[in-house]
Amino acid sequence: MVVRQYNEEIKYLEKINPYCWRIKKGFQPNMNVEGVFYVNSTLEKLMLEELRNCCRPGMSGGFLPGVKQIANVAALPGIVGRSVGLPDVHSGYGFAIGNMAAFDMDDPKSIVSPGGVGFDINCGVRLLRTNLHEKDVLPIKEQLAQSLFDHIPVGVGSKGIIPMNARDLEEALEMGMDWSLREGYVWAEDKEHCEEYGRMLNADPSKVSLRAKKRGLPQLGTLGAGNHYAEIQVVDEIFDKYAAGKMGIESIGQVCVMIHSGSRGFGHQVATDALVQMEKAMKRDNIETNDRQLACARIKSVEGQDYLKAMSAAANFAWVNRSSMTFLTRQAFAKQFKMAPDDLDMHVIYDVSHNIAKVEEHVVDGKLKTLLVHRKGSTRAFPPNHPLIPVDYQLTGQPVLIGGTMGTCSYVLTGTHQGMTETFGSTCHGAGRALSRAKSRRNIDYKEVLNKLETMGISIRVASPKLVMEEAPESYKNVTDVVDTCHAAGISKKTVKLRPIAVIKG
Amino acid sequence: MSNLFKLKLSALGHPNPEFFNCEDEKEYRSVVLWLEDQKIRHYKIEDREGLRNIDSDFWKEAYNTYQKDLVSPAAEGTLNEQLNWLLSYAVRLEYADNVDKYKNAKVEEKKKAPNVVSSNPLDNLDFSSQAFKAGVNRVCTVASIGPHPDPKIRLAALAKVLKTSPHPEPLQTEVNLVNQPSDVLKLLFVQDLRNLQTKINEALVAVQTVTADPRTDTKLGRVGR
Repeated sequence: MVVRQYNEEIKYLEKINPYCWRIKKGFQPNMNVEGVFYVNSTLEKLMLEELRNCCRPGMSGGFLPGVKQIANVAALPGIVGRSVGLPDVHSGYGFAIGNMAAFDMDDPKSIVSPGGVGFDINCGVRLLRTNLHEKDVLPIKEQLAQSLFDHIPVGVGSKGIIPMNARDLEEALEMGMDWSLREGYVWAEDKEHCEEYGRMLNADPSKVSLRAKKRGLPQLGTLGAGNHYAEIQVVDEIFDKYAAGKMGIESIGQVCVMIHSGSRGFGHQVATDALVQMEKAMKRDNIETNDRQLACARIKSVEGQDYLKAMSAAANFAWVNRSSMTFLTRQAFAKQFKMAPDDLDMHVIYDVSHNIAKVEEHVVDGKLKTLLVHRKGSTRAFPPNHPLIPVDYQLTGQPVLIGGTMGTCSYVLTGTHQGMTETFGSTCHGAGRALSRAKSRRNIDYKEVLNKLETMGISIRVASPKLVMEEAPESYKNVTDVVDTCHAAGISKKTVKLRPIAVIKG
Repeated sequence: MSNLFKLKLSALGHPNPEFFNCEDEKEYRSVVLWLEDQKIRHYKIEDREGLRNIDSDFWKEAYNTYQKDLVSPAAEGTLNEQLNWLLSYAVRLEYADNVDKYKNAKVEEKKKAPNVVSSNPLDNLDFSSQAFKAGVNRVCTVASIGPHPDPKIRLAALAKVLKTSPHPEPLQTEVNLVNQPSDVLKLLFVQDLRNLQTKINEALVAVQTVTADPRTDTKLGRVGR
């Protein structure tokens, strides 16, 4: 790593408009392309503060600041366009969380990196709507929260209530949501409103280690811990009436359910296994990176292909997982309201993944190119008329679901043409950490957090209250800042704001 | 499976196919006997004694020998598979006995494809009319397509140019002229796509009625720490 004074470093950064900064070549060694990041004035301070801290003498080691990580990614072989940092960017393993990067599939040197996907492969958000109004739910809010908590097991080491054996898992890994559909856990319309229609076609369960499968099997249909949650939310504000209408959101106060979860231990094991293989491949093919955490392999190499196939299996796992929880949520609501989920209009509005690598076609410098797009802590946001988005959203653009932190608010955005050209159709994914987990544990008291939620009228069910402060709103950037930046920069458009009335989490 | 049994039994003219329960041992045995007595008739009447004793402990043995004698490929399978083969075999014999009677039987099928009446106005276009030639001339001049005696070939050339060459931004005065028709086309496309997706969903739901069996077992659940 180049060690320079802060005032030297800042010379490589240039503010090109109120919401966008350029990272010039030379900020980190061997940059193939430039970097870029989107911030507003508040987030800008956080971003530069982080850089300043790391430039202080004696601060070598520890976390690399997000802006350095974006630049390191720009130095990876085969990258095209720019290495993009979204407003919620923060340090992660290798790639920053909130970083997207695209690699040319036709360049034999191009790489795929597990660090560019993240450990929780296909972590994502699903939003269900209902035809209930806040006033229908408030009287039985506590019972409903408890019922959800009883149906969806949460926390570290939780186990799901959908019976599955090893063969079911193999099929689920290959088929993704088609498995859930075949077995009757979801509706045909759910598949229609899911990114990739809930199935990565190149998934190959035989490329997944036995260990990953053993970890994954009992965890299907569980929420997990960390920042994952299921929330009952109500529509707080509608910014785009037409787009909201297309999503079946008609009025303020309408009740929705948001599920934020991923591939649990399964995805984590797939990523861990791949990193070991990639280190070997890097030595063999002489691939050099600025950061050891950026382990990668050429896309066309055996290791690269094996990882993509296993990653896709993990993505399918996550979709089955969210689908199972959709089923359980519908059951919980049906029991409480003594009505069929159909009659409650509990349709999936959309399902996005914000930790994934996918092959997509984009126009780069006026030419159509096939790219491997890594999105880590970044959500796909395709514009209107894009062939890969569901027919219902052809006129509005793809819905983008942004989960806030526990007890704050969440947003639905839509994709824009500007985002397609500037960020390969990508936008932010959530609030983004401001404090590390350890720091949050030290600085915040969990009782205070729970009390605060209670005074805000939010019912909460947690499996491990003592870990709640890691996820306290204070540990995160303000999701409204993040979303407003994306909106103002034009890379996605605000549609609906949701606020929670009940939370269940690990 | 039991639906399949009912269907085959009623085809064979069994007295009460609706109430047959294949899980009940006694009923199972009497159906096997009925098949041999009425339909298959592989043994002479006096040799059917072993199968006739449906309460006997030796019935199973007789059944196994019976299947071997029939060279049943399902003899090693489950009881249901064995019975299914016997039923199919009986149906086959019944058919062979009365080929003429069954040959002409027709299944009432819903018409699969409706008669297509073309609603595409282009199909009814008169390509030799003056109006067509004049129209092609006009658009080809705008797009600078060279002359050709056959207006259809000129039109094909125009289509190729429109598909491959980049589209210039329309002039400010012409924006609506260009965008409105293209918006209409987009809307029509979305409508077609919606109809297709609805048909796909209907097909999926139809398959689900056969395959779906969602279950939960709360005993498996465990809330973590």
